[in-house]
Amino acid sequence: MQLEATNRTPSVSISATGIEMKGECYPEDITAFAEPVMEALRQQLESAENFHVRIELYYFNSSSAKFLFDFFEELEEAAEHGKQVQIDWCYRADDSSMQEAGEDFEEDFDNAQYQLVEI
Amino acid sequence: MQSQDFHKLLEQRRTFFCYSGLLSEDVLSTFSGIVREQMSEMEDDTEITKRVFGIFVEQAQNVIRYSKDRIAAGGTGTVAISRAEDGFLIEAINPMDQEHAEGLQQNLKELKAMDSKELRKAYKQRLREGPPEGSKGAGLGFIEMARKADHFEFDFVGSAELLFVFKVWIKEP
Repeated sequence: MQLEATNRTPSVSISATGIEMKGECYPEDITAFAEPVMEALRQQLESAENFHVRIELYYFNSSSAKFLFDFFEELEEAAEHGKQVQIDWCYRADDSSMQEAGEDFEEDFDNAQYQLVEI
Repeated sequence: MQSQDFHKLLEQRRTFFCYSGLLSEDVLSTFSGIVREQMSEMEDDTEITKRVFGIFVEQAQNVIRYSKDRIAAGGTGTVAISRAEDGFLIEAINPMDQEHAEGLQQNLKELKAMDSKELRKAYKQRLREGPPEGSKGAGLGFIEMARKADHFEFDFVGSAELLFVFKVWIKEP
């Protein structure tokens, strides 16, 4: 699955080995954006053994926070079931809001490897 | 009020962005670029710019989703951004049902009493539990604004037509 970035949605690339999401996330319709992404994620996770996730967001709104939470929950569940899941939350060195947002999610992971990466 | 007085009023209160009328997601898309451009011209600190923009989006989406005066694609209300003494003020005003107002008032009183740790906890709890009944988003918007704000105030004005007023201040360091 390959989604081009728009003004209000990030680019999303989902393959058998992982996901990359990059850009801004405050979609006009969060459900219309999130559902196909979640569906593709579930499909890929079924057969994957190693899954690498790279998130590089510059801004997301509160509706998208819920999407990210559900997205991460799916990944944590996969890790709980024995899959190797690595998540990199990337933020720019001067971007303390995205650093803090990354820290907000940190405590939700026990099984997936989650790390904050300064870029 | 004369037209020129309206213009002068906005200048006096240092309001550099003001929109009143139907707010829809399309309108928000159009304004996002303008607001960002204005902010980056005025403010070198990108962190402040981002916080103001984030508050603006949450305020606009609240009007779109919860204004009592509905038009198919959204709701009517006013959103404004002004220069404040030591930063920026982001305001939203929209008509609201009395019934909706009571719950919101209670909710906002609780948020106002919380410190940053408690707000973070409330935010995480809302994420885990999902949106409350009647929410059209994640139910996180006000918590998010309370976390980002240096200060916020709210008011419910009038009786025949109740107006909800929400004001958020972002201070420059």
